[in-house]
Amino acid sequence: MTVTPTPVNTKVNTFEIVARWLIGGVLLFAGMSKALGPAAEFAANIEAYRMLPSAFPTPLSLILPWIEIWVGLFLITGFHTLAAARAALGLFTVFIFALGSAILRKLDLNTCGCFGADSFSPQQTIMGDIVLWGLCLVLSLKRVVRPWLSLDHWLGRS
Amino acid sequence: MEVKNWAREFAILLLLMLLPYVAVSLIKQTQWGPILSTPINRQLGQSNAKVVIVEYSDFQCPSCAMLQPTIKDLLRRYDGKTRLAYKYFPLKMHKNALPAAHAAECASEQNKFFPFSDRLFEQQKAWSTLSDATTSFVSIGEEIKLDLEKFKACYADPSKRAAIMADVKEGQERQVNATPTFFIGEERLVGGVLGTDGARVIERELRK
Repeated sequence: MTVTPTPVNTKVNTFEIVARWLIGGVLLFAGMSKALGPAAEFAANIEAYRMLPSAFPTPLSLILPWIEIWVGLFLITGFHTLAAARAALGLFTVFIFALGSAILRKLDLNTCGCFGADSFSPQQTIMGDIVLWGLCLVLSLKRVVRPWLSLDHWLGRS
Repeated sequence: MEVKNWAREFAILLLLMLLPYVAVSLIKQTQWGPILSTPINRQLGQSNAKVVIVEYSDFQCPSCAMLQPTIKDLLRRYDGKTRLAYKYFPLKMHKNALPAAHAAECASEQNKFFPFSDRLFEQQKAWSTLSDATTSFVSIGEEIKLDLEKFKACYADPSKRAAIMADVKEGQERQVNATPTFFIGEERLVGGVLGTDGARVIERELRK
């Protein structure tokens, strides 16, 4: 008896690839924008949210861009996809919380600080973050059946 | 077989971690354009002061307004040793920032840049939300006794924005993306960091 793959699987895989590349692309771009810009600027952006003690913004401004870059790259290449999707879910949860809190407290931020120079306003960014958070949630909850076009698949971790 | 898989996985991990690091190291700008001279009308403090605080600022930016007392305090504390050079850096997201800079440039032509800019910052909330803030700018001009005819003629002349655009270009070449950004020597301080680190950086520059 032979088993043929159902069309549903194909749809799911297409969704996974698009979601992975979209989330990964956004994170990679966001991380690179910050890593390439002056760290002092991102530290000031973090400080403007007034959520952390004064000792935290500077070290966080050095670490966070690299976390975004690596999580983004892992998602794009499909390396430890599930773990990367969960890490991305965590990141977007934090971003939404910070942006939402800034909006509720009516903080007048110059930029959200999300993409380095000429970032979007917190109101614009939170909408996009909610969409990406939803995609991360779907990816995180799924057991990936056949993560094609991924390193996981190549390494036989299907 | 398992060892081979483990080695392959480790190699991929290493590659994915190192690749962006190498890319960023190669691309990242580590040298910036020069700070060009600032017209004397936009400088505060003694001309022979050893330390210059260069400020890239936007009149509509709330942080810029909030930091005005900090700047004044530093200039007072290091009187004779520091001076401020103001650079325009109106952000695109603030619709009245460029007109405000234009108005300030017109006040600067009458040698009243700082009285004008002080009031712009003080009254920021009143004019920043207006669809056309011209009346507010004229009223500030009246308050500080500008020659209003000259001021209005200057404000109507778009060529007067050249000085603003030159500052913006200079700032962009120095990777200024947020306001206020300060340079004290080669040290970049952004936003509220001037309050926490400004004095330390000035002291260090004075020791040089």
